Amino acid sequence: MASTISAGTTAGTAIAIAGDTTGNLAFTTQAGTYTQTLPNATGTVMVSGNMPTFRARPSSSTQSISNNTWTKVTFGTEDWDTNNNFASSTFTPTVAGYYLINGSAYLTNGSGNITQARCNIYKNGSTEVYGQFSQFNATGSNNTDNIATISGLVYCNGSTDYIELYAYIGGSSVSPQIAGSTNYTMFSGILIRAA
Amino acid sequence: MLYEKIKTIYPDLSDKDFEQYILLQNDSDGKGDYIKFWNHPTLKQPTQEELDAV
Repeated sequence: MASTISAGTTAGTAIAIAGDTTGNLAFTTQAGTYTQTLPNATGTVMVSGNMPTFRARPSSSTQSISNNTWTKVTFGTEDWDTNNNFASSTFTPTVAGYYLINGSAYLTNGSGNITQARCNIYKNGSTEVYGQFSQFNATGSNNTDNIATISGLVYCNGSTDYIELYAYIGGSSVSPQIAGSTNYTMFSGILIRAA
Repeated sequence: MLYEKIKTIYPDLSDKDFEQYILLQNDSDGKGDYIKFWNHPTLKQPTQEELDAV
């Protein structure tokens, strides 16, 4: 049996909130022409305006790293962090759910050649999503700069799970670095579906 | 650098070995590079003494 809470008195403009035996909650106009239904879901149903999101960038111009070594990218500047879940270059969401995570790293190696430029999304200290694997020509020194990018969906439990971005430069060791003075190196994420 | 030390001990290791069997990692926590895992089918993981001697 449906129950209805109505507001307003003019047909066609008043808003009604109705719940029926399915447990769904429907928002309708008084005339019933348009209906928006929230699912009968366990847990919290979040609207898009409340989805936690963050974006960060390096605060220093360069981060020196070792070649052929997966290294955590450090981010000292937050563009935004709506739920205060980003600290020490680590995203630890406090809302359980499925997060879209994006990362990019501008990888340079001085005058040395780069044979691989990669970045991975790490969850709880290990690779969760592998980035593009590109094997470059190792001869000469014409491939000294690359931007590695990654995007993936990651589930986080809202308490202990944490997300980081790691980067990798393969090739001869000259001066491998992650360049941070531009917008090329970034880390961002947003909750797209609560658990 | 840890990578160079390992290459000095095992010169025949290739980039593919470091892709498939050996993972070096740095957590940017000031503790430096370390061996995350070593699953090489024939070569043993070098000891800290062997690495320090390079």
